[in-house]
Amino acid sequence: MKRQIQVAVVLIVLGGLLTTAAFFMSFYTASVQRFGTYTAEGHVDTVFDIAPSSEQVAGGVTYGRPWLAQKIFYFHVPVALASFLVFTIAAIFAVMFLIKKKKSYDTRSRLAVETSLIFTLATMITGILWTRASWGVWWEWEPRLTTYFILMILMVAYFVLRNSVSDEERRATYAAVFCIIAWIDVPISFMITRLIPSSHPVVFQPGMDVTNLVPFIAAMIGMLGVGYAVYMLRAAEENAEERLDMIREKLEA
Amino acid sequence: MQDERALPVSRKISSWRQFKAILRKDIVMELRTKEMLTSMGLYAILVLLIYYVALSQAGQGFDVTRIAGGLLLLAIVFTSMLGLNRSLVHEQDQGCLEALLLSPIDRPIIFFGKAVGNLIFLLLVQVFVVPLFYFIFLSGGMATEHTGPWWMVALALIVTSIGIAGVGTLLATMSVNTKGKDFILAVLFIPIMFPLLLVAVAALSAVITGDPEYVRIFWTMLGAAAVYDVIMISAAFALYEFILGA
Repeated sequence: MKRQIQVAVVLIVLGGLLTTAAFFMSFYTASVQRFGTYTAEGHVDTVFDIAPSSEQVAGGVTYGRPWLAQKIFYFHVPVALASFLVFTIAAIFAVMFLIKKKKSYDTRSRLAVETSLIFTLATMITGILWTRASWGVWWEWEPRLTTYFILMILMVAYFVLRNSVSDEERRATYAAVFCIIAWIDVPISFMITRLIPSSHPVVFQPGMDVTNLVPFIAAMIGMLGVGYAVYMLRAAEENAEERLDMIREKLEA
Repeated sequence: MQDERALPVSRKISSWRQFKAILRKDIVMELRTKEMLTSMGLYAILVLLIYYVALSQAGQGFDVTRIAGGLLLLAIVFTSMLGLNRSLVHEQDQGCLEALLLSPIDRPIIFFGKAVGNLIFLLLVQVFVVPLFYFIFLSGGMATEHTGPWWMVALALIVTSIGIAGVGTLLATMSVNTKGKDFILAVLFIPIMFPLLLVAVAALSAVITGDPEYVRIFWTMLGAAAVYDVIMISAAFALYEFILGA
C-alpha cells in the first residue's frame, strides 16, 4: 500500500509537470488553432483569433473575445476525453463484475466512476468558462453540452443508487447494471457533434498543426497520469479502511 | 410417450406460453383491481390540469402548438413512472417476484412479460389521454390549424412508449428494491430516457406544428428513436437476469 501511495505521488508530480509544460507550450509555441464546426450549412472552420481586441456580438451583447479563451482548449479537451475514457473503464469493470462476481471489480468500477466524475466536473467548469468567453453565454442547450450534462447527472445518479441499497451484493449488481446502461451516453455524447448541427467545435481533423498537437498530447498524458493517481490513492484509502474494519472486528471479538 | 416422460416438466412449456401466462397474470390482476389504470389516468388528468394553470395567463396570441409535443410527452413520462413503479411494487409486496423466480420460467421471458404488460397499460392510458389533450389544448382558439396526420403522432408515441416500457421495466425492478423507491426510479429513469425524449419531442413537434419539412424531420427523428429503443432494450434484456438474481 505504501508503494501504491508512492507511485501515486510520482504520477501526480509527473502529470502536473506535463500539464504545466503543455500550458506554457500553448502560449509560446502553439499556432492559431482552427476548429471545425458542423453546422446546418455544412462543415465550416472557426478561426480563433489571437488578437486580444476582436469583438463579437452574441445575445445582443458586444464583448471583447479574449485570446486567452482559446488556450483553455489544452485543458478542457484532455480533461473531457479523460472523463470519457475513465467512465469506459468503469463500465468494463462493471461487465467484469457481472461475469466474475468478485467484490474487487465492483470497488474498481466505483472508484473509476468517482474519478470520472471529478474529470466531468472539471470539464464542466472549463467548458462553462469557455462558452462564456467564446459564445458570450454561460450555458447553451446544444447537443454536446446537453448530452454531457446528462452524463454528469447519470454519474450522480449512480451514487444515489448505491446509497439507497443496503444489501452489499445487490448494491454491487445494481450499480454495475446501471453503470453499463449509463455508459451508452458516452458514445452518443462523443459522436453527436460529428452527426448533427452543433455549435460545439470538432477538434480532431486532418491537418492539425504539430505545434498544436504536441501540447495537446502532453496535457492528455498528464491528465491521465493525474487521473490514475487519484484512482490509486482512493484504492489505497479503501484498502486501509477495509483493514481497519477487520482489526476492529478482531478487537471486539 | 417415453421421451416425453424423460423430459423435465419445464421443457414442455413453450416460451410463448410462459410469456402469455405472465402477461395474463398482469392483465387479470389489473381487471380485478383496476388500480394501475385508474391511478395513471387520474394522474394524467391532473397533469393536464396543471398545464392549464401554467398556460392560463399566456394570452390569446400564444401558439400552444409550438410546445404541445413537449407537453404531451411530459404528461406521458410522468404517468408512465407512476405506472412502472406500481407494476413492480405489486410484485414486491406480495412476494410475487420470488414466486416467479421459483417457477420454471426463463428469466428473459419474465422481462418481456412485464415489459409488454407495462407497454399495454401505458398505451391504454394514452388512448384516453391523448384525445383529451387534443380536446383541451389543440381544438379551440389557442391552437392554429396546421397539424400533420394523426397517425404520425400515434406512431411517435408508440415508438417512445416501447422505449419507456422496456428500459423502465428494468429500472423499476431495480428501484423497488431500494430505500427510496419512486424517487430512485425518477433519478435513474429521466436521465437514461433523456435522448429518447429529446428526439421524440422533435418528431412530435414537427408533426403537430405542421412544419413545412415535417415529413423529413419526423422520419429522421423517429429513426433515431427506434435505434435508441433497439440498443436500450437489448441492453435491458441482457442485464435483466442479473437484476433478478441479485
